[in-house]
Amino acid sequence: METIQLLMHGFAVAMTPTNLMFALFGAFIGTLIGALPGLGPANGVAILIPLAFTLGLSPETAMILLTSVYAGAMYGGRISSILLNIPGDEPAMMTCLDGYPMAQNGKAAEALGMSAIACFAGTLIGTVGLIMLAPVLARFALTFGPAEYFALFVLAFATLGGIAGKNPVKTVVAAALGLMISTVGIDIATGTERYTFGLLKLHEGVDFILAIVGLFAISELLFFIEQRAGAGRKMVRLGKLMLRPRDVFSALPTLFRGGILGFFAGVLPGAGASLGSFISYTLEKKYLGKRASFGEGDLRGVAAPEAGNNGASSGALVPMLTLGVPGSGTTAVLLAMLISLDITPGPLMFTQNAEIVWGVIAALLIGNALLLLLNIPLVGLFVKLLSVPPMYLLPVVTMVAFVGIYSISHSPFDLYMMVAFGVAGFVLRKLEIPLVPIILGLLLGPEMEKNLSHALVLSDGDWSILWSSPLAIGFWVVAGLGLVLPYVIGPVLRRRVRKTMEETSASTN
Amino acid sequence: MTARGDRILGIGLFVLAIVYGWTAQQWPEPFGAAEGIGPETFPTLLAVVLALSSGYLIVRPDPDAQWPRGRTAVEILLSIAILVVYSLLLEPLGFVIATTLAVGTLCWLMGARPVPAFLTGLIGAVVVFFLFNNLLALSLPAGLLGMV
Repeated sequence: METIQLLMHGFAVAMTPTNLMFALFGAFIGTLIGALPGLGPANGVAILIPLAFTLGLSPETAMILLTSVYAGAMYGGRISSILLNIPGDEPAMMTCLDGYPMAQNGKAAEALGMSAIACFAGTLIGTVGLIMLAPVLARFALTFGPAEYFALFVLAFATLGGIAGKNPVKTVVAAALGLMISTVGIDIATGTERYTFGLLKLHEGVDFILAIVGLFAISELLFFIEQRAGAGRKMVRLGKLMLRPRDVFSALPTLFRGGILGFFAGVLPGAGASLGSFISYTLEKKYLGKRASFGEGDLRGVAAPEAGNNGASSGALVPMLTLGVPGSGTTAVLLAMLISLDITPGPLMFTQNAEIVWGVIAALLIGNALLLLLNIPLVGLFVKLLSVPPMYLLPVVTMVAFVGIYSISHSPFDLYMMVAFGVAGFVLRKLEIPLVPIILGLLLGPEMEKNLSHALVLSDGDWSILWSSPLAIGFWVVAGLGLVLPYVIGPVLRRRVRKTMEETSASTN
Repeated sequence: MTARGDRILGIGLFVLAIVYGWTAQQWPEPFGAAEGIGPETFPTLLAVVLALSSGYLIVRPDPDAQWPRGRTAVEILLSIAILVVYSLLLEPLGFVIATTLAVGTLCWLMGARPVPAFLTGLIGAVVVFFLFNNLLALSLPAGLLGMV
């Protein structure tokens, strides 16, 4: 009952004209970013963060803007999968399997329409799950002490590579690097100057916003230059939308199953949206069996992964909002925004910043409805924008990143740092060192150190306090599994994905 | 199948871990420090973790990625140079001129023809400049144009 009241309050926050406007703007820009190949949700949100700052938005409005961008980017990802057979990001991969054959059969409009509905259903189910699960988890998390938090942070890093991650050691390296960067600056507890090289600019530490924009946006530009994807691509013709209500109805159970599976995949640490769309697609394929023609352009083959993908993206907000532990790159970027707004995500946020939490959740529901309305009639517009050659687009996006960072501090030094992070991001991505743990390390470093020192003060310097409660031990065990499992399950899972992809595309050719 | 990339990175990070950890040991003990934890505790822990994991990379590296060579490498270095020069000239030249030059050169580097490339830069720069300075009241440097 209390939840419903809080949600109603959230709607009141989200429904103010300013917030609605920013939700609409975010949804539009997000779809655009998601639709453009090469720009994923994490980059999109990262580029918009400085803008949210320089506009001096209130915390609620800033978070509403960014969550709308997030949701929009998940919607947009499907457009290039269906029309170009190029997934905008990893989770959109499964949508190519049936979406592109449909487009080749002249049913591009139906695929786009169905997938928009699937996005809507997935986000709706995911958000309802979030509303039900988050307060419970937040209440549970209130019982955590500093030792449990320290173990939880370790768990977050350990599972970040995901069970499909390639080399867990590289995740550890990345996490250590991020945490090391977070120690730059004056130590709050003792006032000791750490790793500042005497530079005044570094006294307050490295601003993670410029690190994020550099690592994601600038390195993307360098990757593009290397790959030279070239000019605009040949576009499939969009036919008239002929989506019959009957088709939508027959896909409803698929949407329902996909959304729920996706939600749980999103909540699980490290699993994320890629796993969400993969298991929804494969389980649906198995479940429907001969009653469907997956891989040849079945409507339900578009519905399942998109519902799973979007369910997962809402699910990933659960650990981010309740524990302050993001499950994916994009939620890590959202977390950065919260921390920069001086809001500490975690269980206390539900009591101390209730209007933000519930405003964001309400905005997610409103944004989702807006996105559906935007996406069905305006899909033609987004399709047109897809033909903008990236050689014009990426430099302009880079400029926007520069403007955003510059207008926060008016300091060229920050721009140099951003470029340096961009170059580092390029080199690290080449060496398959994941960037998200670096960001997460930067973000969680201060909290992690604070919890470590609180725990050690409580125990008079006895380190065994870190693994002295059953809950903390549980976290350490899961963290250990998170590092070991990729060696065991990773290759199997990757083989599975490849097999499914091959089988499905073999049956079409 | 070479694995130089990971090895070089591993060695670099190992050295970093040593330097980082050693630096932490040099800090004076702060007055009234709590039991067992000081400013160096957390960095020392991180140095150990990084030293161990980078050691693993040296011993068991992954196969190498394809590094850009020849023309592509030059182009990447050039574009990094453009970004640095852009940061350097943003204030003295002013936003519009610096951005036109930077975006134009980048588009051109990526294979656009010069005229549309610099036109994209100019239009983008002017639009963003007016948007920021007039609508959002955030000041971007006018530079040379401000003196006219």
